[in-house]
Amino acid sequence: MSSGSNGARRIASVLRPSIANPGVCRSCQEKTLGRRSYAAAATNTAEISSSPSSTTAFPVIKPSYTINAGVLLSRPPQITRDLTPFEKAYFFYQKRLNERLALPFTKYFYFKRGTPADEDWKRKIRERQTAARDIGKYNAYADDAWNDELLVGAAESEPDHQVEMLVQDAEATVNATSQDTSKKEEIPRPFSRMTEADQQGDMKSLNRALQRTLYLFVQSKDGYWKLPSSPIEKEETLRLAVERTLAQSAGVNMNTWLVGFHPVGHHVYNFKKPRLDEANGIEHRGEKTFYIKGRIMTGQADLTVNTQGLKDFKWLAKEEIPKFVGLTYYSNIKNMLADR
Amino acid sequence: MSLTTPLRRSAATTARVSTSTTFICSQCRHATLLRRPKRPYTFTQLITLSDGSTFTQRTTSPAPVYRSTRDTRNSLLWNPSSSKLLNIEDDEAGRLAAFRAKFGRSWDANTPVEGEEAKTPTDKKDGKQSEEEAAAEAAAAQEEEDNLLDLISSFGQDEHDGRSGKKK
Repeated sequence: MSSGSNGARRIASVLRPSIANPGVCRSCQEKTLGRRSYAAAATNTAEISSSPSSTTAFPVIKPSYTINAGVLLSRPPQITRDLTPFEKAYFFYQKRLNERLALPFTKYFYFKRGTPADEDWKRKIRERQTAARDIGKYNAYADDAWNDELLVGAAESEPDHQVEMLVQDAEATVNATSQDTSKKEEIPRPFSRMTEADQQGDMKSLNRALQRTLYLFVQSKDGYWKLPSSPIEKEETLRLAVERTLAQSAGVNMNTWLVGFHPVGHHVYNFKKPRLDEANGIEHRGEKTFYIKGRIMTGQADLTVNTQGLKDFKWLAKEEIPKFVGLTYYSNIKNMLADR
Repeated sequence: MSLTTPLRRSAATTARVSTSTTFICSQCRHATLLRRPKRPYTFTQLITLSDGSTFTQRTTSPAPVYRSTRDTRNSLLWNPSSSKLLNIEDDEAGRLAAFRAKFGRSWDANTPVEGEEAKTPTDKKDGKQSEEEAAAEAAAAQEEEDNLLDLISSFGQDEHDGRSGKKK
């Protein structure tokens, strides 16, 4: 809620460039504006009476900006992040500690005496001395149960190793208890956390960088990269303009969901030299782009039918973005992007 | 006053008093044995969902790997846009086809008949003929429906016919 009103306020301040003084902070600005509206009406009238002399000296030129609607289309992370070494060590310590604290495993509740499963279980327990498969060889009831630390370079705390141990245990059980000893049962391993697109460096695929949020960037016909955006037409809200932009730039073959009606950020681009329109008395200074957040559910961007002359698109994670966009552009959009 | 004094006794006095056998400890502050919490033993289990995504969880079950066959990943409710899960009837044994061969397709009115789709493009050329055909088809369908309704309504009334006739 606070961010929404905050964003609205920020837009309001951006949309009033004539009133906004860049040297004054936002809250002070609003305070002075509010005070002027009702408390200091007298000074206001005085200002107005004094202003005509200045306007006659210089012709009134209204500065104007093109208002663009942009979309920050993102794909959320698909898998959990990799653990840090400290987190791995912590979780491993907790597992061995739990081994000492919890009640012992009640074997005969799960395995009937004398069955092949029971025999298999006994054999495995003799081997690894504990019921758990993922904590390595550790006996919580021995005299040296205090010695629960891993040696340097031990793989037991790695999640991959733990999963491998679980799968191997399942395979061993299946092979030991099955009637048919000729063929070995194979239990499929989990898929790799690195996909094919990661290895090939395919930045167009949505199947890459599964741990990160990806953002859709398009390359304009001038060759620079940007978030998809286009000027707002007359009688069009920001949201409608964003929907139209998305359809015109990246095609309709995407199942997307726009988050809210408020923009999450903006980017102001000033021309090096303001373009003067003599006929209307308008000084065209640049572009202001307002971004609405969107999520992609299914589908893929398709530039073959785009009407904005876009050349290429990429799905980029946060740290890859500065390689493609300018410094000011990145500093304007970076606070809209999620850390992961 | 006399009530508060035993509570505020110093450590030295407690030590002296506790040696006597008749003392009843009203408030003890020394460490007692911490019992093991009554928590059941838990294993780490690898769950594999139907689309191949995996995660581990702590569970009391001693099975190391669990593969689910039906979950949110292959349920139509959770995947409304999935073409794979669209309602396509699987008729492996051919029993539905056999039923249709015997009783026709008027029962499943929602599904289009196979021949109908092929017919429609040709119908556009000769409109009049198709109209006649459609009228004839509609009449036939109506007749069939009437027959079926007659069949249903006349079921079990044959033996009562004589009686009802008398009453009339």
